[in-house]
This record gives sequence, structure tokens and C-alpha cells, in this order.
Amino acid sequence: MTIILIAIAYLTYAAFWVRLSLHAVVWLRAVRQHATGPSAAPGKPLHASAMTLIDLLLFRRLFASNKPLWLGSWAFHTAFFIVILRHLRYFLEPVPDCIVQVQPFGVFAGYVMAFSLAYVIFLRTVTKTKYVSYQNYIILGLVFLISATGLVMRNYFPPDLVDVKSFVMGLVAMRPAPLPAGFFFSLHFFLVLLLVPFLPFHLFTAPFVAFEARKREFRLDKVMHDR
Amino acid sequence: MTGNGEKKKAAPDDRSFTKELSPLQLIEIDACTQCGECLKYCPVQDVTGNPLISPPEKIRVFREFIKATDGLKARLLGPQHIDRKLLEDFTKAVYECTTCGACGQHCTVGIFTQRLWPMLRKEMVRRGLGPIGPQVNLPKVIGETGNPYNRPAAERFAPWFPEHVKVVDRADIAYYAGCTGAYEATPMVRGDVLVLGAIGEPFTMLPAEDEVCCGFPLFITGQHDMLEDLVSRLVAAYQAKGVKTLLCSCPCCVNIMSRDWPLFYKKELPFRIRHITQFVADAMKNRKLTIRKELRQRLIYHDPCYLSRGVGIMEEPRAVLRGIPGAELLEFDRNRLESRCCGAGGAARKIFSENAIEMGRLTIAEAVEKKADKLVLSCPACYAKVNEAMVGYDKQIEIVDIMELVAKMIEAVDSGTP
Repeated sequence: MTIILIAIAYLTYAAFWVRLSLHAVVWLRAVRQHATGPSAAPGKPLHASAMTLIDLLLFRRLFASNKPLWLGSWAFHTAFFIVILRHLRYFLEPVPDCIVQVQPFGVFAGYVMAFSLAYVIFLRTVTKTKYVSYQNYIILGLVFLISATGLVMRNYFPPDLVDVKSFVMGLVAMRPAPLPAGFFFSLHFFLVLLLVPFLPFHLFTAPFVAFEARKREFRLDKVMHDR
Repeated sequence: MTGNGEKKKAAPDDRSFTKELSPLQLIEIDACTQCGECLKYCPVQDVTGNPLISPPEKIRVFREFIKATDGLKARLLGPQHIDRKLLEDFTKAVYECTTCGACGQHCTVGIFTQRLWPMLRKEMVRRGLGPIGPQVNLPKVIGETGNPYNRPAAERFAPWFPEHVKVVDRADIAYYAGCTGAYEATPMVRGDVLVLGAIGEPFTMLPAEDEVCCGFPLFITGQHDMLEDLVSRLVAAYQAKGVKTLLCSCPCCVNIMSRDWPLFYKKELPFRIRHITQFVADAMKNRKLTIRKELRQRLIYHDPCYLSRGVGIMEEPRAVLRGIPGAELLEFDRNRLESRCCGAGGAARKIFSENAIEMGRLTIAEAVEKKADKLVLSCPACYAKVNEAMVGYDKQIEIVDIMELVAKMIEAVDSGTP
């Protein structure tokens, strides 16, 4: 079991980088093809950066469009981020103080994550949204199961944390250690590996697009008013 | 679906779907979260309710196309086969869009769809799948007649141009009527010229045979081959007349002139582009134009997509309307950057005419519901299509172009009408 899961982990890791590289190749090839033409009127990059940060931290655009969905989506993404911070304790030695401080919040965020996901899935189902992305439902379902198994471990079947840390550190250092005992840890870990191929690319590209959208908004008034 | 009459076969090493897209557009395609929020604002969805032609679905399908030609499997084993029906359905979906950009305005990420859709069309043209219907003939027709309506240059100005308005040979200011205004919305361009005449600043125009298409119909249907030539001819002609400001009332013309002409001209334009409402609002502010006659009516102004979301002209038309004594200005629920397309955009109105009529009727219905006396437009395509939409519709309202209205108010004073 240990060997299989470790092999899957490395394969998933490699596949993720191949996928990312292929996207990068497509973007870079386009850069070569479209490198001409006069530049657009300058925006306000600093102002745009500050506003983009607010857009990204508060999901402003979603708030403007759909407030009930915003509530669930913002709570989920924020909680997910805090949960990831909490999990960094398994990847770092010594554990930085800031990660230690975040631990209690991480537990709370785990509950928020599960409940906000259930809320989002419920909302999408009952409001009969016009457009259904099945891939989004797969991702939502997977993340829900990951958070649920995490909470089950936290409350009912806690794994040996020393074993967990040595397993994770071993994976990172390419010196695999034995898989910690417990069905729920294996399931939790497997579901995370299953999630990686489904990771939506907007996680990496949306911040850049949001920044460009802000710059475009600032420039709009200049298209026909200043030049 | 009809395809391009002269289909160009893609070279085997030229199969990538990314050729016509900028790096940012490719990143935008990756950034779509598929949340579906944009469907609430899509005018095509309002009238068709078909999610298969919705913005996220088009992006999802296009991702699959990119994957088939640039994904890992394609790189290892060569480009994958894409079902012809899927390609044709996708092409129809991108051409059924009005390219109004409302989806991008409300996009939870901020994708610039008003620019993305035309570039996807360009890719489909490159592959010999687009454009569709009579759009195929645009390059030929524009090449022969200088306009997309296949009408002679002799009819461009003569039927509507007011005799008493003087056009000088050379001036700092030039007026470009545009093909849709000149051939399909003549009260609008007549109004433009009457108002310019009333302001009194000398202005020039190109002869009818030289005032050729601005290129927008070709740009928006993805047929870019002639654009450099058209733009160079027009820019050179205005430059020869010593023009420093080029005025135009058509949002589509103004959009391509300010956003894309510099790209096709390959440098900054030697003159600035101004929408007619900017010029008239300035003239009213500087008291070069005053409207004295009262109009005790409720006016509702519709923001054309390519004027508001396209180039940010939203307050000047309102300033002009507020300058009419007695007039009360109403707003659509969705106004300015969030305006709803009237159905005339994206060169789709003649192919998907029923959609366009339905969208136009939604605009009329809201204007009637708000108890407006006049629906004020400032786009020749909107003008032509919304007027068409009112034929046989149980809700009726007076439709007027903004400059047509201003011209009427001025004429009323000039002729001594109280």
C-alpha cells in the first residue's frame, strides 16, 4: 500500500508539472506571435495592484454578481487557504512560529471549509443554475470528501502525527517513509492525490487576469478622453 | 451552417488553435472558473436559454480544441482528430454571440470577452469554418463598393445630407458618417450633420467614394485581411485634409478607430478620435450650442455596448440629454458599463435575426415599463434593429437617435416654433 501510494504521489507530482509546463509553452509561444503593435495607454499599475489585491482577497467580482454564492465561495477559499497553512507543519522542520500560531484557526477553518462547501453544493443544486460544470462538481465533491476525512481524523481517528510528519517529509526529500497507520489517513491522502489532476488552472491564472481587468478598467476612461 | 466560400485548408503544421490569440487571451481561457455567473447577463441566453452556446461552454470547448492540438497526447502522438460537427457547432456559437461583452463585464475573474470572442472568430476563419451566412461576402462587397451593404457610393450621403450644411475642403475637424448610419439609419447621421452645422465650427468630410468602411464588420467577423489597407487609406485621406479631430457617431466605428486603427496603422494615429456626443457636450458646455426649446418628456437612454463597455463614453450622451430643458432622463436597470445589448451587435443581427428582434423587444419592453416617452439610442445598428423589433410588437415607444433629437430641438428654435 505504501509503495503504491508513494508511486501515485510522485506520478501525480510529475504530471502536475508536465501539465503546468504545457500551458506555459502555449502562453510563451503566443508571446512570440503577438509581440507587435503600439502599446496601450498606460494604466495605473500601483493603484491597479492595490485594487486587484482587494478583488482577490474579497472576491469583489463574485460579490457584485451573486452574494449568496460569494458567501460560500469566499468562506471556502479563505478556509482552504488557512487549512493549507496549518498543513505546512508537516512539510517544514523546524515549524515556523507563524505556522504554529495558525494551528487553532486551522482547525476552525477545517469546519468552515466543509460547511461552506456543503452550502455551495446545496446552493448550486437548489438555485438550478443555468450552466452546470460537471468538472466543478467533481472538484467540489473531492474537496468536500478531503475536508470530511480530515475532520473525521481530527475528531475520531487521529493518526500518529510523528508518523505523518516523517511520511510527508520523506516524500518531499525523496526518501519515502512508511505510510502512517489508519484507513482515514490513506483515504485522505489518496483523495488529495486524486484532486491534483483536477486542480483548476484558474488558481494560477485568475489573479493575473483580475489584475489585467483592473488595469483595463483604469484605462477605459483614457481610450477617448485623454488622447 | 454555411461555411466560408473560399475555405482555406489549414497546413498540417499549422493546426494549433492558439495562433490568433494573445498570451493574455490564452491565460484568460485558462482562468475561466466555469461558474456560469455570466449567463445571467448574456443577451443571447435571455432569448435562447441555450447553455451550449454560453460563454463558459464556448471556453470549455475551445480548451478541448487547444488540448487536442497542444496537449501532451498531441505532442507525443500528433494533433488529435476533432469532430467536424463539434467544430461547426462551436463556430455557430461564436457567431451567434452579439459580442456585447456583458459576460466579461460581470465575469467573476474579469475576462475581456468583448475582445476574446472576435479573436476566436478569427481563428475559425483561419480554419475555413467561419464566418457564416452572408458575412462570407463582406470582404468582396467592401472591396467592390467600400461598404458592407453593397450599396453604391453615390447613395452614401446624397439621400439624407442637409443641403444647407456646409462642408469645407480642409479643416481641423472631420466627420465620418459610417456605413450603417449612412445606409441604414439615415435620421441619425442627418442629425449629426445638422448639429455640427448648428455648432458652426468648420468641418470636412471625405467624398462618398473615399469614405470607405472603417473595418469593423470585417474585424468583428474575424476577417482581418483587408484591415490594414482600409485603415491606411482612411488615415491618409484624413491626414491629407489636415484633420486633427475625427468625429463619428457610430460606436462600432469609434471603437475600432480608437482601439484598433493604431494597431493596423502600426503607429499612433495623426489625429484624435472623438464620439459626436463628446463634441456636442463640449459645445453645450461652452455655449456654442444651446437648446432653448423645452421638451417636457421622459427620455430613456440606452448605452450601446461598444460605446460604454467598449470605449467608456457614458456621461457625455447623458450630459447632452440633460441639456434639453424640461426633459427627464430615465435609466435602464442595467446601464452604463452594465448595459444590456439591444441585439444588434456582433454582426449577428442579420443572420440570427430572430434573436436580435427578441433582444430589441426586451429593450423596448423595459423602456415602456418605465413609462418613457422616447427611447434614445446612439448607435446606427441599435437604431436599425430596435426599430425593426418594434414592427408587430404590442409595446410601442418612439425611438429616436440622440443627435436626431438634438437636431429637432434646434430646428424647432431656428424655424421659430415655440
